[in-house]
Amino acid sequence: MPIHEKSLIRPEDLTEHEALEIDGVDVSGHWSTFIETRVVSDYNERMEEEIAALPGGEYIHRCWQCSACTNVCTVNDLNPDFNPRYWIYLARMGFEKELLRDKDLLWQCVSCHKCTHACPREVVPEGVMKAMATWAELKGHTAVSPSASFDAEFTEQIVATGKIEEGRIIRGFFKRTGQPLRQAWLMEMSLRLAKHLPILMGIKMALAALFRPRTRNWGKSQAAIEEYLVERDAANKRALNLD
Amino acid sequence: MTEPILIVGGGPAGLSAAQALSAVGRNSILVEKEDRLGGAPIISGYAKLVPSDEWAKDAIGGMVSRVAESDLVDVRSGARVTEFTGAPGAFTATLSNGESCQVSAAILATGFTHFDSINKPEWGFGTYPDVVTTVQVEQMISSGKGVYCPSDGRAPERVAILLCVGSRDRQIGREWCSKICCTVSANIAMEIREQLPECSVYIYYMDIRTFGLNEIKYYWRSQEEYRVKYIKSRVAEVTSDGNRLLIKGEDTLVKRPIAIPFDMVVHAIGMDPNVENDSIAKVFGVDLQAEGNIAHQSNYGGTGVTSRPGVFVAGAAIGPETIDDSIAQGQAVAMSAMALSPLAAAAAE
Repeated sequence: MPIHEKSLIRPEDLTEHEALEIDGVDVSGHWSTFIETRVVSDYNERMEEEIAALPGGEYIHRCWQCSACTNVCTVNDLNPDFNPRYWIYLARMGFEKELLRDKDLLWQCVSCHKCTHACPREVVPEGVMKAMATWAELKGHTAVSPSASFDAEFTEQIVATGKIEEGRIIRGFFKRTGQPLRQAWLMEMSLRLAKHLPILMGIKMALAALFRPRTRNWGKSQAAIEEYLVERDAANKRALNLD
Repeated sequence: MTEPILIVGGGPAGLSAAQALSAVGRNSILVEKEDRLGGAPIISGYAKLVPSDEWAKDAIGGMVSRVAESDLVDVRSGARVTEFTGAPGAFTATLSNGESCQVSAAILATGFTHFDSINKPEWGFGTYPDVVTTVQVEQMISSGKGVYCPSDGRAPERVAILLCVGSRDRQIGREWCSKICCTVSANIAMEIREQLPECSVYIYYMDIRTFGLNEIKYYWRSQEEYRVKYIKSRVAEVTSDGNRLLIKGEDTLVKRPIAIPFDMVVHAIGMDPNVENDSIAKVFGVDLQAEGNIAHQSNYGGTGVTSRPGVFVAGAAIGPETIDDSIAQGQAVAMSAMALSPLAAAAAE
């Protein structure tokens, strides 16, 4: 059969033969381009369940592939390869290998929630994207993303004190991601900030940085949050059959 | 006991009930809120009906004249029922025009309300004049003017029909399938292709539900004979580049983004419960379903049995329904209402 839409087929799956004869018919050259048969034998049939068990992925089973999510997607507008509708299909069918081709795109969702408000079945695709990115990370397919590092630093500070202190977050984030503290833009920003900062506020910020104040009566909340985080972490690992 | 039977609503189901009762010599009183009979097919000006291909004004118009000519049907148009008291066999209905009548039973054939596309603003209805509904296209065809762009009257070269507008959508609290829009849209698509052979027609769908034999006559035929193109995608938005409408979406089968210009976009609007169902339910003392339609028991013991003995329901008042099935239900419920009278009389003795 002639191939009308070569652009839809991955180049590595197209083959031409310089000299090939099948049953006495010459099928050499450009006019007899072959498509590599796609054999999918390694489905991960648990994939949908795994993603559904992660926070945000609960409603993945509702999807009926109408593409309302992809059609309104902010990121898809900039990069047509960012396709939540397609990834949900792959995850539901268990085409793990195919999904992992896009593993470096999954986490680029900007959580604008346009899909949440377009989806006629309330799949909450934004949550599913979050769950997919977490899934890829927990399974070790992707490195911890910069935004996940930032979230971790942020969360740890909140849990410890009930407050956040911006300077500390920046330092912690840089440390986690192996960046030097002396960066030209940061120096410039700090300098300008210092120049125009009201004195009283400057003193307050310095005190906060030095003494790390905690929210009053934080202990109980801290214990509850820590308990939840441990439970959640265990549940995630259980869902993915990790240790 | 030969009190007349009250029929509320003069659309296909109500007309059919009146026709059936008069055929067996029973009196009925037909109350219609509009000033003429016919229901949605006549009031909203439908063109050729599915699946008979007969014009609505002939097909339903024929039902209207048969009912109007019958001595046994007492038509009260331009009126509503405001009060309904009594028991099976001996009800009293009070009308908005002050009249009151004694009836043995009531048949609610109160129909539905077309979905108002203004509730899906992202698809351009109310913003762009060339975004219309299936009802408007039906009117263009039935008026004899043919299909045209409302903005300047030109014949469209490219038409898109969006399915499931006001159906199967949790975002707007309408989870049901409206049952008829796929078939009606395929029919409209073929009408357009017949009138304007140069015009390309695209249908954007989530699933195609041309149920039963409609699969052949509408879905397959529209593709094979009329070259109507079907694209699986729920589009994001309908905008305009200043000259033409622009549809943004994805062709999901080949995973490719699409932004396609159109002259005209048609919303295949669904069937909402009648907006007056709350007051109808209150007047007649019947329960509503969760979705807002009139509730009825299973059909095994009798057709159209509501929560109030002696009050029956037929047609699109129950949920999205085809014209043919509404007609069948009207006749079936006439039987239920008739069978009630002797039973009620026996019980009263």
